Formats: sequence, C-alpha cells, structure tokens
Amino acid sequence: MRPDERSTASGLGRALVAIYAVFALSASARSLVQLATKADQAPVAYSLSAVAGLVYVAATLGLAEVGPAPRRLAWAAVGFELVGVLTVGTLTVLDPELFPDATVWSAYGQGYGYLPLVLPFVGVAWLFRTRSTR
Amino acid sequence: MIDPFQTILVVAALLLAAVTGAYVALDRSPDKVLIAVLAVLELALVAQAVVAIVQLARGSDAVGGGITFVGYLLSILLVLPAGLLWSLGEHSRGATAVLLVSLVTVAFLVLRLVQLSAA
Repeated sequence: MRPDERSTASGLGRALVAIYAVFALSASARSLVQLATKADQAPVAYSLSAVAGLVYVAATLGLAEVGPAPRRLAWAAVGFELVGVLTVGTLTVLDPELFPDATVWSAYGQGYGYLPLVLPFVGVAWLFRTRSTR
Repeated sequence: MIDPFQTILVVAALLLAAVTGAYVALDRSPDKVLIAVLAVLELALVAQAVVAIVQLARGSDAVGGGITFVGYLLSILLVLPAGLLWSLGEHSRGATAVLLVSLVTVAFLVLRLVQLSAA
C-alpha cells in the first residue's frame, strides 16, 4: 500500500466488506447446491450464479486486503460485478425467459432488493475514495 | 415448524439491529452489554438449529427438509460470530455497522428459513 493510500478495509470499508462477505457466501453456497442437485435444469443460470459467487468472493478478499495485490483484485472484481449485473440485468429484463431459473443478477438483482445493482457502484466509489491522491 | 419462536428470533434480531444502529449513530463501539445480548441471540439460533434438526431426524415433514434447509440452519450460526470478530478488529463507526449488517442478515436468513419450511 502506498503511504497516502487509505485502507479499503477500514471505517466504512469494514461494513462494505461485511456486506460483500454475505453475498459471497450466499451466492456461492446457493450455486453449489444448485449445481450439485439440479445442474441439468438450468446449467447456464447456475454457472452464472457460480461465477457471480466467485466474483463476490474475490471482491470480499480484495477489499479486506487479503493477498498480494488486494486493490487490483478489488478493482477487477468490482468492475466485473458492475458489468455483470448491468449485462445480465438488461438481458433478463429484455427477455425474462432467457434463463429458466433466476440468478443473483437477474433483473438487476430485483430478488435481492436491488442490492446487487447498488453494491458495485458503492464498491467503485469506495475504491476511488481510498486510492492514492498522487 | 416453531413459528412463534422464529417470529421472536426475527423481531429480536431487528430490534438489536436498531439498537446497534443507535450505537453507530452515537459513534459508540460495541460494549459488553451489547455483546452479551448478541450471545443470547446466538444461543437462541443454536436452539433453533438443534430443534429443527431433531425434528428432521425424526422424519417430520413439517420442517421442509433437504440440504438447503440444513445449510441455512447451520450457516445462520456463523453470521454473528464472524460479524463480531470482524467488527471488534477496529474501533470505528464502520466497524460497529458490521454488527448491523450481521443482524439484518440473521433476520433475513431466518425469514428465508420460514419460507423454505412453508414451501
């Protein structure tokens, strides 16, 4: 961490990490159960859920400053998350029949109170606020 | 299954979330009283898991059953301890707000559990 960078896991970031951790666990666990018990019913939707789960795990670790390059990891994960929720959200709003079963990002995360849509914007804002000013 | 009990759990978690919200607003770190009350809630969640799993083992249909149900029962137990550990690592508003996140998550998970057992 550069001297004028602020920790992403401190202050407000601590609460943000907690929210990401909840999403990481629930999305991963859910997709594991779905892939293990009924993968053939909606393979694309469940794989997408698994990818989303991994992205949340990566974002949690990055923001919690775990690993060698946490800020880069956090940027990559939150960026992927933003693109993912916007893409999947738009596709599922245009064509609700696209996936036979819902994913976290379907209809911009409607099933989760639109938190999946809000979260990456908060993540990006937080990464901007804590970055090096030089 | 044990609906009044789960109603109490949800209400208790949300009340505690409101109290924790006051702590955040006043910029107070969690004290012993708050942590003790959280421990009581955690014990109640353990009781919920034990009762539900015993019912499940006896073959009662009323509890829904299945891997998802048991997964919910057990993962609920991890939320408060993990949240408390992460929260106590720092003294700040954000750190106290971690408990708020944990408590809302517990309330949400118990509600999902009720939905699962009703399905």
